[in-house]
Amino acid sequence: MMPPLSGSCADCRHFNSRPLDIEAALPGLSTLSSAYAAVRSNDGLCAVHDRYVAASSVCAQHRTLSPSAVQSASTCTRQS
Amino acid sequence: MAEIAEQSPSRLAAHRSPLSELLRKDDWWAIWIGLGLVVAAIALFANGGSIKWIAVAPQKWTHWTDAAAQLQTHGAQYSALFVLWAGSLGLGAAALGIKLSRFLPAFLTLYVVAGALYFLGQWDQAAHYNLEPPLVALGLGLLVSNTVGAPRWLEPGLRVEFYIKTGIVLLGAGLPLTLIAWAGPVAVVQAAIVSLATFGVIYFTAVRLGLDRRLAATLGTGGAVCGVSGAIAIGGAVGAKKDQVSVAISLVVVWAIVMIFALPLAARSLHLSTGVAGAWIGTSEFADAAGLAAAQTYGGYAGSVPGIEGHADAAVSAFTLMKVIGRDVWIGVWAFVLSLIATTRWERTGVQSRPDAGEIWRRFPKFVLGFLVASALITLVSKGYDYAAYKKDVLPGLVAPLQALRTWAFTFAFLSIGLTTKVREFAAVGARPFYAFTAGVAVNVALGFVLSTQVFNEFWTRLGQ
Repeated sequence: MMPPLSGSCADCRHFNSRPLDIEAALPGLSTLSSAYAAVRSNDGLCAVHDRYVAASSVCAQHRTLSPSAVQSASTCTRQS
Repeated sequence: MAEIAEQSPSRLAAHRSPLSELLRKDDWWAIWIGLGLVVAAIALFANGGSIKWIAVAPQKWTHWTDAAAQLQTHGAQYSALFVLWAGSLGLGAAALGIKLSRFLPAFLTLYVVAGALYFLGQWDQAAHYNLEPPLVALGLGLLVSNTVGAPRWLEPGLRVEFYIKTGIVLLGAGLPLTLIAWAGPVAVVQAAIVSLATFGVIYFTAVRLGLDRRLAATLGTGGAVCGVSGAIAIGGAVGAKKDQVSVAISLVVVWAIVMIFALPLAARSLHLSTGVAGAWIGTSEFADAAGLAAAQTYGGYAGSVPGIEGHADAAVSAFTLMKVIGRDVWIGVWAFVLSLIATTRWERTGVQSRPDAGEIWRRFPKFVLGFLVASALITLVSKGYDYAAYKKDVLPGLVAPLQALRTWAFTFAFLSIGLTTKVREFAAVGARPFYAFTAGVAVNVALGFVLSTQVFNEFWTRLGQ
């Protein structure tokens, strides 16, 4: 029986849903689709499980982001 | 800093409001740009004007000096059109996170080459030498990207999906809402039959060959629903391994590009009418951009290749009804259902999905809404005109200029497909995924052919007339 899990991938430091990183990690994605497409929703890459997962997923290895990182992140945007 | 870079995207995604999606998805930017152009065109038309000055397009020519003269006469219009596209698409690209200073030089190059291909397509001998702009754009792009390689500075301008969605919204302006209502249900029925059969063949073949169910489902929807978009939507919904998504993407791209050349060639040899060929391509191609390249190529044969009947635009119209209305709009339902099955029936992976019916809307390809609204707006404007007045006033003053803009957007996309296809970077797919996907391709093509040319033949032929 799995223990109850809290915190979704969207709040996890191992999760990356940045479109340009996803396109770089999945060759061919931008050829006939896009990481900016609505069909992708907010899915992203999990560095721990090496999976492509929905942002609402949960797991036992979840590590919540620190508030300071969020504060810094809000002023740090990466562009192509 | 490195940690911040690693952490920022997920956190920002978590706190993103639904309204911010309106600026962060290319679907929505295609709507803003496409509908913006349609509304501007209607406003000018209602006041006795037209956007046709800026929506300039090459005309038929015989000798290259004719083409040069056209360019000289309309040079200011081509410059203004570049400013219009660069401004609107650049705004969208910047909102998506692509630096304008990197997008604009890349887009200028794309615009110039696309313009040259557009001109080439208007040569009166183009069809004789098979120089259809979509095929030439694709072939040229493939050649460059897989030999010398496209320069890195060009990459920010190669946004296939952004351009193709903008073109599809503009395409709505050329399709009356009544036609969509008339043909839509047939498209949905035909697409449903083929989608379910194709998914079933790929999925069960893959499972029988011992492949993981998540890979089987990702391959299945990539082949049955909406190509690469289908693969990433289902890959995320079921929590597939990153490599599994890569395998599905590689297979879809390779087969989609093969079909861009194969389907028009096969349809041409069988002398299918444009409406029937468009329906077949819409049923059997895997991605919107690839299918539109094939359908536009086939439309170009109408009137220039003996034995091919139907209106040139019918191939693109039938394709769009079949692919966009019949297949694409259901991806959210596929994602929700497969996520539910993966969570409750398949082996656990360590990451637990949480199926939610809200996914049906979140994954809905929103650009389809723009396509429908554009169709509704033009249908409303045209309502007060009889057929003769429509042909005399509405078509040249309103619809044709929007069709020209659509062709530009599609040409940007076709060129970008080739330039972003780097075969050496594709994931090694292995024999079993290849066999499973190829089995689905065979069923998809055969069933699509039978339904388009036999079962619903009269229907699609009528649409072409």
